[in-house]
Amino acid sequence: MEVNTAVFAVSCAGAPSLGARALQKERQLNQFLAEVERRALRIAEIAVRDRDEALDLVQDAMIKLVRNYSDRSNEEWTPLFYRILQNGVRDWHRRQAVRNRVMVWFGRKPSDDNDYDAIAAAPDPTGRAPDEELQNSEAMQSLEKAVYELPARQREAFMLRTFEGLDVAGTAVAMGCSAGSVKTHYSRAVHALRERLEEHRPEGFAPVEGES
Amino acid sequence: MNEQNETFETRMKEAFDESVDKLDGATLSKLNQGRHAALAQLHRPRRQWSRWMPATGAVAAILVAVVMLQTPSAIDDVAAVSTATDMEILLGEDSIEMLEELEFYSWIDIAESEGDVG
Repeated sequence: MEVNTAVFAVSCAGAPSLGARALQKERQLNQFLAEVERRALRIAEIAVRDRDEALDLVQDAMIKLVRNYSDRSNEEWTPLFYRILQNGVRDWHRRQAVRNRVMVWFGRKPSDDNDYDAIAAAPDPTGRAPDEELQNSEAMQSLEKAVYELPARQREAFMLRTFEGLDVAGTAVAMGCSAGSVKTHYSRAVHALRERLEEHRPEGFAPVEGES
Repeated sequence: MNEQNETFETRMKEAFDESVDKLDGATLSKLNQGRHAALAQLHRPRRQWSRWMPATGAVAAILVAVVMLQTPSAIDDVAAVSTATDMEILLGEDSIEMLEELEFYSWIDIAESEGDVG
């Protein structure tokens, strides 16, 4: 009996307490969200073309992840977080479509997505020459517009793969589809973007030497 | 073609990362607040009843299904009986006379229930 008590005491001393585990989990979640939040915001902003709406969507995704999936392993958080965010973006577009239909029914002009000015929304220059800053802003504006105009599933696949750097399997989880679908959407997205961006030929995405 | 795609994607990724790096202080502050609001969810006690919601919902759904399956036949039976009774009364030889003496029968009914008759 004494031996058992001693073993129990040793095992308790070795294992972290409930409070310590909870604190560790909170620290890990904080670190994860801090790493992902800025890219997630830009991804959501490109998808809805509104920074305030994007901030709301990202915060909702954070809350849902913490509330529902905090006990999952850390490796699962990224695809789960983006799955929640993509669902939020899809819901946002559905609500927007309904709102626009209602506004048309009442004879009012629906909100125009093209009113969004990426240059105006961009932050202040950070020590660059004005012409260089303008060039980069214009390139980013062209990119954002082209990505926004992609079909929704292609846009999701492209942003998750290229901007967030998820692999095919992670993107499939985030999009709720098969790996094969991800590859198809992604390939089509890249093809469409190449055509659109090279059509406009902004400096930032002009073909490099040797590229056709 | 793959190399071209990779170069193209790399340039887009760089442009995106640059736009992320240039997010202004006000936006970063809002993100920070949002993150802390989300983490505060960890300290909220989970509602115990929410654990029983799926089971309660399933039971409720089964009950509704059973009631919906049972109710039409019950209603039909009652309706059929009452319709038949109504028809018998209306087609009976005494029905017209009974309607004429309705006040009398009503008085008998009350008197019987109070024990004045019989």
